[in-house]
Amino acid sequence: MTVRRFHAEAATAAATGILGLIAIYGAAELGFGWEDHGPQAGYFPFYVGLLLIGASLWNLIRAFVAYRAATAEEEPFLPREQLMRICKFSAALLIFVAATLMLGIYVGTAGYITWSAWRQGGYRLPVSLGIGLGFSVALYLIFETLFRIPLLKGPIEPLLGIY
Amino acid sequence: MGNFDLLMTGFGIAITPMHLMLMVCGVLMGLVVGVLPGLGAPNGVSLLIPLTFTLDPTSAIILLSSMYWGALFGGSTTSILFNIPGEPSSVATTFDGYPMAQSGQSTRALTLAFMSAGIGALMGVIVITLLAGWASNFALRFGAPEYFAVYFLAFAAFIGMGSASPAKTMVSLTVGLLLASVGMDTVTGEIRLTYGFSELLGGISFLVVVIGLFGIGELLATVQEGLRFRGVASRIHLRDVFRTIAELPRYWATTLRSGLIGIWMGITPGGPTAASFMSYGIARQASRKGAAFGTGRPEGIVAPETADHSAGTCAMLPMLALGVPSSATAAVMMGGLMIWGLTPGPMLFATKPDFVWGLIASMYISNIVGVILVLATVPLFAAMLRIPFAIIGPMIVAICFVGAYTVGSSTFDLWLVLLFGLVGYLFNKLDYPLAPLVLAMVLGHKAENAFHQSMLLSDGSLGIFFANPLVSSIMVVGLALLIVPKLLQLGARLRRPATVE
Repeated sequence: MTVRRFHAEAATAAATGILGLIAIYGAAELGFGWEDHGPQAGYFPFYVGLLLIGASLWNLIRAFVAYRAATAEEEPFLPREQLMRICKFSAALLIFVAATLMLGIYVGTAGYITWSAWRQGGYRLPVSLGIGLGFSVALYLIFETLFRIPLLKGPIEPLLGIY
Repeated sequence: MGNFDLLMTGFGIAITPMHLMLMVCGVLMGLVVGVLPGLGAPNGVSLLIPLTFTLDPTSAIILLSSMYWGALFGGSTTSILFNIPGEPSSVATTFDGYPMAQSGQSTRALTLAFMSAGIGALMGVIVITLLAGWASNFALRFGAPEYFAVYFLAFAAFIGMGSASPAKTMVSLTVGLLLASVGMDTVTGEIRLTYGFSELLGGISFLVVVIGLFGIGELLATVQEGLRFRGVASRIHLRDVFRTIAELPRYWATTLRSGLIGIWMGITPGGPTAASFMSYGIARQASRKGAAFGTGRPEGIVAPETADHSAGTCAMLPMLALGVPSSATAAVMMGGLMIWGLTPGPMLFATKPDFVWGLIASMYISNIVGVILVLATVPLFAAMLRIPFAIIGPMIVAICFVGAYTVGSSTFDLWLVLLFGLVGYLFNKLDYPLAPLVLAMVLGHKAENAFHQSMLLSDGSLGIFFANPLVSSIMVVGLALLIVPKLLQLGARLRRPATVE
């Protein structure tokens, strides 16, 4: 499966247009008119939303025009191989964020780096684990010890006596 | 006091052991973020801002601006040695820098790049020094309509002068403005555009958005290409360094022209990226042996580097004097100023001369520190790029998410980083410019407030934006910047059907 430029352009234009609609809806709820003491709270977002919809439509039309004018052998925008790489990396990011929210930043980070070094970097598991844990310890030292900024912790840190 | 006396006071503030140490740290950290893919100047500065809350503003801005210069230098290193631009603004450096390094002259290429970058930066700072007093006096006459006109000018310049399609710039700008209006409205006190999500009540932090857009977005772009670093030898030979420095005066015309282009593009919101491309293009046209460009011509390195750095430094002037940043990094720094409780603009010069002139003086010193440090550490940072991506990639991801978390200690921000990472990747791929989005997020509130106040003054008539010579001339320049460049392009396209970028 490959993604063509037209698909990406059209989808993005549609998404930004919908964002504009959402903004207009939100602004309309607040009121976008004029009161005795000046513009209402929704005034600015309403017109900005209108501009956004206008620009999105323009981009959509341009994408269509380019699509009609394009020749048959168009270079694929995202070839299958690249798309797979992006999907894999994004999935890893998603799992990382979910794990971080459940287990805290330190465990999430150590796990992610270990997994990546082990499965993708081809390092042996003990070495990978060392890199991951080492990075987490470095984070702890820099943020909690040096700058006194607490990072998100999960259920595991209290067991080790770290709050 | 004249500018010169103020500058000397500034040097007194900048040259303290503490500040010199901050400069060295800032430049080194900047080199790291400049060299690594996925960490650029805008999000490097965003990541650092939460750590500066404990510093006083002068020290904090010295640290952040030094990091910016370091990132600009670091971007050139990878362009030349690996053909991978570490920063968007050093793309033009790869055209001649990498071929020269490939032919065994990497020391010469690097020295040319760093020296002309340093010269460009110094040209920029000198212009700032000369113009700072004047710009702030000028800006003292500003009221709400004038401020709105200046914001309008900044937005219009992005749309008119940017290299991207105007409609795409418009999308980027308006999305930024909408994101800025989420949460509590400072004028009416109403809660806006939260749609019942309590996480959105406090608004969306531009720092989180920048970390997503530039950090994760750039990383995704790197992943898509499937990383293969093929570097050339990165030893620095001291004798070559001096020989190259002796060679520099030969390129005085290129240097001067590129510096001026950079200064112009830095003060107007063209930004360093546009400046370096423009300067490279003009150098190629001006050269009599035009064909040899792209094969390792020294002018091909001098031109983009000088313009890149003079634009980078000059971007600080409109930020300080008017509160209108002209590059993404300057926008982030300005956001930082506001977080530290300072209001950028003419009053800053009157109320905080120590801050302003300390910063300007530090720009002289930290750029010199930068040139020396970058030459000394090239082998180290080149070695960093040889770490496999399977290790360095997740580390950059972790740093981005940790940085976003430190902004507001909110777990919702982690999702935002992920979301804006995907948005940043897509926008980059489809040639939507990202800088206007950041600028709009930082300026959104101020632009809206200025508009609101103007409307109150005029009882809702747009005529107030043309009520006196000052505000109307700013508006006219804004409208001209919006329309004229595209008209010129259209004219050129009609005359010459096959347009070349």
